Amino acid sequence: MMKLVRLFGRLTLWKLVLGLLLIAGAYAAAVRFTQGLGAATNLSDAYPWGLWIGFDVLVGVGVAAGGFVIAATVHVFHMERYAAIARPALLTAFLGYLMVILAVLFDLGRPTRIWHPLVFWNPRSVMFLIGWCEMLYAIVLALEFSPLLFEKLGWTRPLRAVRKLMGPLVILGVILSVTHQSSLGSLYVIAPDKLHPLWYSGMLPVLFLVSAVAAGLAMTMFESCMSSRAFGRRLEGDLLRGLARAVVVVQAVYLVLRANDLLYRGALHYAFEATPEAVLFWGEIGLGSALPMVLLASRRVRYSNSGLFFAATLTVMGFIVHRLNVAVTGMAGWTGASYFPSVLEMTVTVSLVALGVALFGLAGRWLPVFPPAREERVPAWMIRRRPAAGGPFLTRPALFGLWVMVAVGAVGVAATGGLPALGGGRDAAEVAVAAAGGEESPRPVSADGELTLPPPWLFPAGEESPGPVRFDHRDHVDAGELGCRRCHPGLFLFTRSGAPAEGEIDADRAHDGDLCAACHDGETAFNTYDDCTLCHVDSDD
Amino acid sequence: MTRGLLIDLARCRGCGSCVTACREINRLPLDAPAERLDARTWTFLDHRAGLTVKRQCMHCLDPACASVCPVGAMHRSPDGPVVYDETLCMGCRYCMIACPFGVPRYEWDSREPRVRKCILCWEQRVRNGEKPACAAVCPAGAIAFGERQDLVDRARQRLRERPDDYVDHIYGLREAGGTSVLYLSPVPFAALGFPRVQEDRRYPGMTWAILEKMPAGWTVSGALLVGLWWLTGRREVMARVERGELSVDEAMQLAPPLAGGAGREEE
Repeated sequence: MMKLVRLFGRLTLWKLVLGLLLIAGAYAAAVRFTQGLGAATNLSDAYPWGLWIGFDVLVGVGVAAGGFVIAATVHVFHMERYAAIARPALLTAFLGYLMVILAVLFDLGRPTRIWHPLVFWNPRSVMFLIGWCEMLYAIVLALEFSPLLFEKLGWTRPLRAVRKLMGPLVILGVILSVTHQSSLGSLYVIAPDKLHPLWYSGMLPVLFLVSAVAAGLAMTMFESCMSSRAFGRRLEGDLLRGLARAVVVVQAVYLVLRANDLLYRGALHYAFEATPEAVLFWGEIGLGSALPMVLLASRRVRYSNSGLFFAATLTVMGFIVHRLNVAVTGMAGWTGASYFPSVLEMTVTVSLVALGVALFGLAGRWLPVFPPAREERVPAWMIRRRPAAGGPFLTRPALFGLWVMVAVGAVGVAATGGLPALGGGRDAAEVAVAAAGGEESPRPVSADGELTLPPPWLFPAGEESPGPVRFDHRDHVDAGELGCRRCHPGLFLFTRSGAPAEGEIDADRAHDGDLCAACHDGETAFNTYDDCTLCHVDSDD
Repeated sequence: MTRGLLIDLARCRGCGSCVTACREINRLPLDAPAERLDARTWTFLDHRAGLTVKRQCMHCLDPACASVCPVGAMHRSPDGPVVYDETLCMGCRYCMIACPFGVPRYEWDSREPRVRKCILCWEQRVRNGEKPACAAVCPAGAIAFGERQDLVDRARQRLRERPDDYVDHIYGLREAGGTSVLYLSPVPFAALGFPRVQEDRRYPGMTWAILEKMPAGWTVSGALLVGLWWLTGRREVMARVERGELSVDEAMQLAPPLAGGAGREEE
């Protein structure tokens, strides 16, 4: 018992929570590895990649970018004052990569074959490159991290050897890491039809790299704030302000690239449509990139610990939303199906984060991660106005801001209807649309490259009806033969929403009268009485 | 030597023999519902706009699924069929993301899951010079098997001879840079739920355009970083020598490649 106390320190509420999460994670792992992906996850043929790829891998690798950026700052560009935060940043990156490897083991259908890309090569595959980067950079990170262990153990000879190699090692790490970060974006370059145009771009590798640099820097700021609280250390205010300025520049570059790309591809208009995609796009760009950039550009925010913490948190959250948008939201239109991670998937994700935090805590306790206190560079004007740049970061304004963010996020997600698993009570019509939507896109689709069509519409089933009627413009339009004028406005009014005008259609007029039956007469198109299931979607389906 | 199928939707009578034949030859359960592609349904008849549409793998000439597979489990056989080696697959499911037609399916409920899709009867029949099972059993002559070029010629001939019976489009001729499975239809393909994919564009080229630049990128960035490392390091050492924190000898000890320049200037 005494030994345990010595190793972990006193039991606190946070440690208890971490411990419980790890136990839950162990249970989830047992289910996943004994019963398979189908039993453990909500993944499906329509959604082969879900939370584990979207969050654990894409976000996990991204926030580890702080490691290579800070290492390069210190060891390649010789800005040595940043050495004070280099080791914690390195530790974050190293643990991040270990957690990503664990997550990949969870996600692979045959995890025991994770070594296959080392032996069976396909250099045409982005995934092949990613596998190699992941492995090589994890090794480089371990080597970059090894001095901490050697110092602790007092092994001077290997310590000197690694120190001598540090420059080239870090350069190798930068190249591997840049390749890895950008390749995660390249993964999706082969899916131009599937990924929503707000996110698909030939520039994805560049966008992934730039956003990962911003998120990695922000993660280093976030982690510094957290460590200062956990280990009772003073915040490295001057260094964090330096990082904050870098985040402003990188976010500005990112936003310009993003805007340029959307304009160039003519996809900007999708951001101004009333779709769930547009809401999540603005959440990501507005609250996750532009707002923290503006905040950090202000000197007042940079010189406030809670301001730094709040803006860094926003940046990381915006980054998470971007990666989930690419992995999940952006695919929804093409697959037509919905995905929300299972409780077990979320348990694995949360417990992997908890494992990372726990290992960080242990390393922070037992290895020389944090350098001895140093003199902080404080500008003269600040010394005159305020005695010290210290103080807590989790102040009331920061907490209030975070709660507002969470509330806005929750409302946003609820408004997009992206939470079917939590909502539970979707009405039958929606379910039928989702079911009937099998392989169709609810997003407007160009029939001939120019025409934008409204999404499929479901008419509720009336009395004695065999089921709701699903109407899809795409079945009724093609370039040349069937234009808009065939039906509009003679048979049906144009409406803004794409749904029929109130009371315009009833069963008699559809089957026998002057509406559907105008063409569905057995000659122009099949007769309205030929086969009910051609129009009436089986509501059990 | 690319062989494929020509599926004529105007001739299909919707009997479903092809679906059953596929299940028999691939030892898939015969009684499962055939309403969508899944791990145990490699082809099925989709009822759309009054037609029955045989759905299956398109067997691209340059398949995205094969190019993205990190271990080369999915690959195109020299004869055209895109086939799968289940002993290599590690289950990353990137093929499912990459396929523009959304064809590959996964055995989610298995503990040793495989990717499943039509392999154009490569292992059981085509390799031995026989037709795929579906083409062999079709009583309506709606599924023709042969050299792709012959099939294209035949399709063009049908379009020429009976222009009123078809829309003027051979689906698969240009889609995704061409596929070994071709379709003719009396109804526009968009109305039949055929996915809109890039025409005359091979998907693997999209990522290859990035990958092929990597070695040059590594070389340039490596050289650049080494240069910067040398330059900034040298400046740092020289500044310390100037401030009197280091003697020239100590500087030489500290970093010989850096101090070379520093030393000379001190002299």
